[in-house]
Amino acid sequence: MSIQGLTPTPVTLPQYQTMTETHDLEEFRLQLRSWLETNCPPSQRKAVVQSEQIWGGRRRQFPSDDARAWFEACRDRGFTAPDWPAEYGGAGLSDDEARVLKKEMKQLGCRPPLYDQGLWMLGPALLVYGTEEQKREHLTAIARGEIRWAQGYSEPGAGSDLASLKTRAEDDGDCFVVNGTKIWTTKADEADWIFCLVRTNDQAPKQQGISFLLIDMESEGVSTSPIPLISGESEFCQTFFDNVRVPKKNLVGELHRGWAVAKELLKHERKMMATVGEMTEKPSLSLIDLARQCVGAEEGGALGSTALRDRMARHLMREQAIERLVERIFLQGKAGQSDARLPLLMKYLGTSEIQTKDELVLELLGVEGLSMEDPSISESNRKMVKQWAFDKALTIAGGTSEIQLNIIAKRALGMPSVDEKS
Amino acid sequence: MILTEEQQLFHDAMTNFFSEHASIDALRRLREESPTTAFDREVWADLVELGLSGIVVPEEHGGLNFGWLGLGAIAGASGRHLAPTPLLSHVVLAQELLLNCGSTGQIAEHLPMLLSGEEMWTVAIDGDRYFHGGDDSVVELSNTLSGRKVLVPEGATADRILLPVRRSDGRLGVVVLSAQAEGVNIEATRMMDGRQYANITIEKLDASAGEWLEGSSLERGWELTLNRSMVVLAAEMVGSARELLERTVRFLSEREQFGVKLATFQALQHRCAKLYCELELAESVVLAALSAIDQGASEIAAQASLAKAMANDCLTLISSEAVQLHGGMGVTDEMDIGLFLKRSRVTNQLLGTSEWHRERFAGLAGF
Repeated sequence: MSIQGLTPTPVTLPQYQTMTETHDLEEFRLQLRSWLETNCPPSQRKAVVQSEQIWGGRRRQFPSDDARAWFEACRDRGFTAPDWPAEYGGAGLSDDEARVLKKEMKQLGCRPPLYDQGLWMLGPALLVYGTEEQKREHLTAIARGEIRWAQGYSEPGAGSDLASLKTRAEDDGDCFVVNGTKIWTTKADEADWIFCLVRTNDQAPKQQGISFLLIDMESEGVSTSPIPLISGESEFCQTFFDNVRVPKKNLVGELHRGWAVAKELLKHERKMMATVGEMTEKPSLSLIDLARQCVGAEEGGALGSTALRDRMARHLMREQAIERLVERIFLQGKAGQSDARLPLLMKYLGTSEIQTKDELVLELLGVEGLSMEDPSISESNRKMVKQWAFDKALTIAGGTSEIQLNIIAKRALGMPSVDEKS
Repeated sequence: MILTEEQQLFHDAMTNFFSEHASIDALRRLREESPTTAFDREVWADLVELGLSGIVVPEEHGGLNFGWLGLGAIAGASGRHLAPTPLLSHVVLAQELLLNCGSTGQIAEHLPMLLSGEEMWTVAIDGDRYFHGGDDSVVELSNTLSGRKVLVPEGATADRILLPVRRSDGRLGVVVLSAQAEGVNIEATRMMDGRQYANITIEKLDASAGEWLEGSSLERGWELTLNRSMVVLAAEMVGSARELLERTVRFLSEREQFGVKLATFQALQHRCAKLYCELELAESVVLAALSAIDQGASEIAAQASLAKAMANDCLTLISSEAVQLHGGMGVTDEMDIGLFLKRSRVTNQLLGTSEWHRERFAGLAGF
């Protein structure tokens, strides 16, 4: 990955100097734990349910006073974006410190203080490709939860073959004029800004005529329309651009070189999707307890069915193996011995295993797993059914499993690119 | 989960050694010999010289204390070459069992001879069709031992055999038997992996004919030995799987049909990509388990089962796919692929099938 466009960051003092300078991780851990215990209200330490997730943005509404207090405490300490530099609203933590924070939060069961696609995807890409002005304007607003972002990549005619996208941005002096439509724009109807891939040159080979634009959703000519899904939810929208004027300062990276930015961003999207299980609503019961409850257990907790036990063990063991792989990638990075092939596997493996679990859950629920609406079925069971349906998108969004396998074959195994054949 | 520089260097040296002196050609020669031959004595002497026997033995017992991650890397290299050495039977099973179940005096007396390769030992684990984690196939009754053990690795070449016995008081005992002892009948066989195994029949053997290990916690020592051995065997298996996948991708990249390289076909690319995912998952759990042993984890049963089950499934799958993807050549004896396939099915049974390990994992997790 090229790092052209990377501007040197001015040296400013981090907000919590003692924290970033200490090499004593254990001391840091203790300091953190007491901070978390003081600042994370008990209600924010329970498994998060969807309606209580804290999303940022101009129209942000906190699900409760505790949620607001937790968010504000984290925001003020940079913990919404722990590994971003402090001058852009982060906490400036090293990789080790960020990992300690993640572990401590997991240990206490702290909910994520902020949910936002800008935080997960745009931010890390802006850190690499953004101008100083863009970083100051957008990163800070993201970390402080002031602006909520949507992603404008796919189009009705450009899915897996994303580079064939047709939304056009034409040069008009100090602005681009954008026309076209984007699909699967997650929660675009609630977002303030959208980062988009647009075509700025239709003469060049398709990947070389694409630029990366940041567009304010309040601009004239932007409209959204929600898309109902099989889960009964409508997480996604189609977004339309009709002669939308976008200032040129909102171009990220070089003109016609937006594909490089998109690839950087996609890495973070895939990383995020591989760990999506950690961020989404946890079922109130563990899989094992659910199985015991549904099929019955012997004294001591063993399930009655050997076949089911085997299937559950198979899934839980794979889940652990994926965790070990993540750990291995981390330790390799720390030792400066990264094997670049391994991160390519995470999205495919992580999302497939979530679906394996969902299928197990659905089957365990039996007749109670066959409706999302039947009021005689408990709400928690209906939620699991919805989750099953919703998670079908995981192996499609952010690069389908088939695309992931193409990438693994090409980049990890050195097999010829599928594009090269045609 | 990361090898130290010294471990990496040692691994590289061993890889070179295996490819020169204990390669697949060596295995091909071995399988032609009478079943009484288990391995090349000169090669073994060189391996001892290189320090292989003492690699995980603590320094106070005359070993190198080089770490389990280091041993795992060497097991992986031996898996890549299908090296026919007594690494598992002697270095891992027998030495560990002596260390974990022997008294201080017994360790001091016997271990030096094992480390120097002067004496070869092995462990007779099971007597049944399947691995059970040790069973009651040899029992003590009124001071005599009777029963039968199968699939004892290098069991007809070993000077002594460590034999788990259900004692008359119901507890586990481990007796060190001389291969020459009266009442011990050892029958050499060669399994399809070309390696030597023994079926051992014990008939009314005087219980005092062997030396009983006198360590303080036999049950625990036995479990620990098996768990550690499972992890090392899993490391060997993952090494074989990696070699197979590399050979398969290379073959597909060279072989042409319909005017193009087979590797350009997406159906084949996706199969290889999935195999690669399984390979790295298995490697990750093996590395994690080896690291856990190095870090002195007291309970590694679940990790050992995770490692062995994943390695079993990964190698069974990759070896079958390797044969299929090599087409007609895959089923010829000329190609090495078939040798890996056959070794994989033996290692699959050794120290437990995936079903057994998943059952144990479920039990440990409480369901």
